[in-house]
Amino acid sequence: MTITLTINGIRKTLEIEPGEKLLGLLRREGYMGVKIGCEAGDCGACAVLLDGRSVNSCLLFAAKADGCKVVTVEGLEQDGHLHPVQEAFLDQGGVQCGYCTPGMIISAVDLLSRNPSPTETEIRRALSGNLCRCTGYVKQIQAVQRAAAVMRGDR
Amino acid sequence: MIPTAIREYIKPTSIQEAWAVLMERGLSAKPMGGGIDVGLYATPDLRIVVDLGGLELSYVRGEDELDIGATTTFAEMIESSRVGGYLDGILVEILEKVASPLQRNLATVGGTLGSAHPWSDVIPALLALDAQVVVYHERRQTLPLAEYFAIRAQGERPLITEIRLPRAPVMSACGFEEYSKTAFDVAILNCACFVELEADRCKTARIAIGGTPAMAARRPTVEESLTGARLDGEAIDRVAEIAERSIDARDDRRATAAYRRHLARVGVSRCLRRIARKLETMG
Repeated sequence: MTITLTINGIRKTLEIEPGEKLLGLLRREGYMGVKIGCEAGDCGACAVLLDGRSVNSCLLFAAKADGCKVVTVEGLEQDGHLHPVQEAFLDQGGVQCGYCTPGMIISAVDLLSRNPSPTETEIRRALSGNLCRCTGYVKQIQAVQRAAAVMRGDR
Repeated sequence: MIPTAIREYIKPTSIQEAWAVLMERGLSAKPMGGGIDVGLYATPDLRIVVDLGGLELSYVRGEDELDIGATTTFAEMIESSRVGGYLDGILVEILEKVASPLQRNLATVGGTLGSAHPWSDVIPALLALDAQVVVYHERRQTLPLAEYFAIRAQGERPLITEIRLPRAPVMSACGFEEYSKTAFDVAILNCACFVELEADRCKTARIAIGGTPAMAARRPTVEESLTGARLDGEAIDRVAEIAERSIDARDDRRATAAYRRHLARVGVSRCLRRIARKLETMG
């Protein structure tokens, strides 16, 4: 079957299998920032924005993205500049082995788009679907706090 | 990638069309809300998915009574001021702990009822809230939620289009308790209690317990033991003891039957104590 969707601002018409998930489609199209983890919706490594909301692309039928706007971690930079959340993950040491990082960043971008001044608890809850095996779950939280401050303009 | 046998993806534009496809294709076709369970639990005979996302069933309407469209996501319900204003926001409180934020952006209320998992936190809550479901089953019908599950148990497949919550009486409150090994794991046991007071006595009590590990259900003997009583510590202890005896608990890999019975007592006791505190501040 054929679907038309926008991936990182580029409109694409793609041939898909009726039962395939968005995760497989995106990686086949070269968006390798979307990671394969548990494939059961538990780890969040495959998170993408679907019409602005973070979802597990391993759970989402690709056909359900027909007509939607999908943003992967590769699509967050603008005019050669990383997104403030990406910058903050680098600055604050929020990137450890890096495998969970794209999903964490996607969840954080979704949160900050709706809540520019989240509390630490709200950040932790927003990232609760993203598992990090290096862990600590400290630097990532600090990175989101930093990104929120930058995005609000109070550097 | 996990392979499936799905060969066809149909997105109907009317409920009648969806129903016709499901009837024509039988058990090889399955209706889909967010698609989480349809994908995760796809059986080898599942060939056709029927995506209900094109039926415009994502909404929360009403003020005192709420009508919630079947494909409304948990996130949309959490963010709805109407759901937030219903019975002190009890559904928001429950849904915020269901699955992860990523999954709540996909999971739909109709899908969770259609999946009918015995560990569902949403099902006992909706049973205690006396929810009705609007279904398409040859024709449009409105059924109590328990009746929907009874029809499903007979092998019928009514198609859910809407969930209806009745107006909550002034002196009423709901409490919910869930016990699991981790915050993300499914329930070992959960329970939801609803109480309406009249002249300081329980006029109506609805108590649903799930994850026993059988399907959630209301417990009439427990409810009857509370009806007409004052909601004080003595009555709550007595009702909790009846709750412990009321459940059809079994052992499974998550917990023993004995532990589940203990949790039923603790859960009902805590729910009712919380309800009593809420009602005290209202009275």
